[in-house]
Amino acid sequence: MKPLLIIGLGNPLMGDDGVGCAVVERLAADPRLPDYAEAVNGGSDLLRCAGWMEGRSRVVVIDAFEDGGDPGSVLVLEGAGSLDERQSHVHHLSTVQSIRLLQMVAPAPLTLLGISVPSVKAGSGLSPMLAGQMPAILDRVLRELTWSSSM
Amino acid sequence: MRTIVVEHLARVEGHGGITVELDGNTVGNVHFDVVEGARLLEPLVRGKRFDEVAPILSRICSICSAAHTLTSLKATENAFGVRISPQTELLRELMYRGESIESHALHLFLLALPDYLDYPSATALAADQPQAVLLGLRLKKLGNLIQETIGGRAIHPVNAVLGGFGKVPSVEHLIELRGALIEGMKDSDTMVDLTASLPAANFCHCDTAYAALFSPNGDSYYSGDQVMVAAKGDLSLIRAADYQTLTNEKAVPHSHAKHSSFHERPFMVGSLARLTINPRRLTGRLAATMERLQLQLPSNNPMDNNKAQALELIRDVERALEIVEQLLRDGVKDERPVGIQPRAATGTAITEAPRGLLIHSYTYDADGRITAADVITPTALNAADMEARFRRAVEECPEREDTVIAKRLQMIARAYDPCISCSVHLVRRR
Repeated sequence: MKPLLIIGLGNPLMGDDGVGCAVVERLAADPRLPDYAEAVNGGSDLLRCAGWMEGRSRVVVIDAFEDGGDPGSVLVLEGAGSLDERQSHVHHLSTVQSIRLLQMVAPAPLTLLGISVPSVKAGSGLSPMLAGQMPAILDRVLRELTWSSSM
Repeated sequence: MRTIVVEHLARVEGHGGITVELDGNTVGNVHFDVVEGARLLEPLVRGKRFDEVAPILSRICSICSAAHTLTSLKATENAFGVRISPQTELLRELMYRGESIESHALHLFLLALPDYLDYPSATALAADQPQAVLLGLRLKKLGNLIQETIGGRAIHPVNAVLGGFGKVPSVEHLIELRGALIEGMKDSDTMVDLTASLPAANFCHCDTAYAALFSPNGDSYYSGDQVMVAAKGDLSLIRAADYQTLTNEKAVPHSHAKHSSFHERPFMVGSLARLTINPRRLTGRLAATMERLQLQLPSNNPMDNNKAQALELIRDVERALEIVEQLLRDGVKDERPVGIQPRAATGTAITEAPRGLLIHSYTYDADGRITAADVITPTALNAADMEARFRRAVEECPEREDTVIAKRLQMIARAYDPCISCSVHLVRRR
C-alpha cells in the first residue's frame, strides 16, 4: 500500500463538477506522480472511499469548488478547514460533512484541494475555460503532493 | 401569502428544493423543484457502440453505479436476445444486495437518524453517539466490499460486462466476504434495536399507489420483467417493454424532472413499495422485525419507507450470505460471457435500484449503435408522489411555523431517499 492516497471527487457527467476525477485520471498517468502516491477516482461519495484511506500516512482529496474564484485556482485546506458544512443532501453527505465525520471516527492527516470551477451543468467533459487550465492545475497539485509528503 | 423554501437538497446549492406557498391556513402551490441543468443523457450515448453504453451510464450516480451498470447491461441483452447464465444472474443479484446494503446504511444512519434524534447533521450525531455512526459506517463498508469483490471496483464496476462477467470472484475472496457478512448479521441485529428505539414520525398520512418489480420468487432486485402496481386494492401488471404505460411522463413547468402517474395518480417506488408488492419476502425473522418496528402494510405514511429500508437491510445481508454460501458450495465456474450479435432492436430493462424502480430502454441500429436511449430514475418516478405528500404534511401540521413545516418536509424528502443528481430526466426518444 502506498502511503499517500489522492482521491478525486465529482461527477464527470456534470461538466466541471468532474474536475477532481479528471485531475486524478491525468495524475495516474503522469510520470511526475511520486512513487509513494496512488491516485484514484472516488466518484461523488467520499465516504465510500473510507476503506481505501485506512493505513495511509496522508490522504489528499480533490474536489470542485463553486466559490467564485478564478477558474482553475486551487484552495488548500487542512481537513475541511472552516468551510460551512450546512450544505446538506438528501442522498449523500457533502464532501465537507464527510471529511468532518471521517476525522471524528478515524482521525488521519487529510488535505482538501478545492479547484474553482466556473460552472456546473449537465454535459460530459470540462468547460473549455477549465480544460485550458488543466496543465497549471496539475503542476499546482503535484507541488502540493510533494509538500504533503514532507509533513 | 408566505413562501417556505427548503433548499440544499442537491450536491450543488440551489439545484433542488421544496417550495410551499401558504395563504393563512390555505396551502397553495407545493413544488418539488429540480432545477439543475438538463442531463442530456441521450447525446452522451447516441451513436455509441453497444459495449460502450453501460460504462458511460454507470457514471450517472456513483452511489447507484452498480444499478445503472446492471440495468444497462440487461437492457442491451434484452435488445439482442441474450440469455445470461444462472451464475451470472446470481452474481448480479449479489452486487445489487451490496449496493442496497451500502445505500440503506448511508441513508438510515447518516441522513435519516440525525433527523429523528434532532441533530443538525451526521457529524453532530457522531460527536454525541459515535457508536451509532460507526455501526452505519461498518454496514456501508460491508456493502462496498460486496460490490468490490464481485464488480472489481467499489465505484463504477468493471467485471460485469455484456453476457456475464469478465472476471469472477476467487474462492479466497468469497471466504473473506462470508466472514464479513457473518459479522454484518450481528450488526444488522443492532441496527434493528436502534431503529425500534427511534421516536415515531407520524405527521403525514395519505393513501397512494405503489409500484415495484414483480419478481418470480418474490425476492429479487434483478430478476423479472414485469412491474406490479397496487392502488387501493387493485393490482396491475405491466411488462418492461410497455413501461411507458406505467410512467405516462408529463413535463411540469417548475421542474426539469418529468412527473409520472399511473391511471392519473402518482405512485411511490422504493423499499416500502417493494415490501407491499412482494409480501412473500416477509417471513420468519423479517416478520418478527416488522412487528417490532410496528410497520403495517399497506402503509399510508411515507416515513415508513425508513422502516422498510431497515427490514431490507436485514434481508440484504441475509440474502448476500445465502448467495455467497451457495457459490462456495457449488463452486464458481470460470465461464466466458455470452457472445453478442448486434441487431436492429429495442431492449428495455426494469430493476430495483436501492431507492426504487430503474428503467433503461435503448434502441440500436443493425450495427449495434444506439439511436435512442431512455433512462428513468426512481427519484423522477417519485417526484409527483413526493409533492402530494409534501402538501398533505403541510395540511396536517397544526403549528404552521415555518421551521416546523420545513423540518417535516425535509424528513419526508429524506424518507424517499431521492437522488437529485440523477433525477432529472430530459431524454427524448427519436
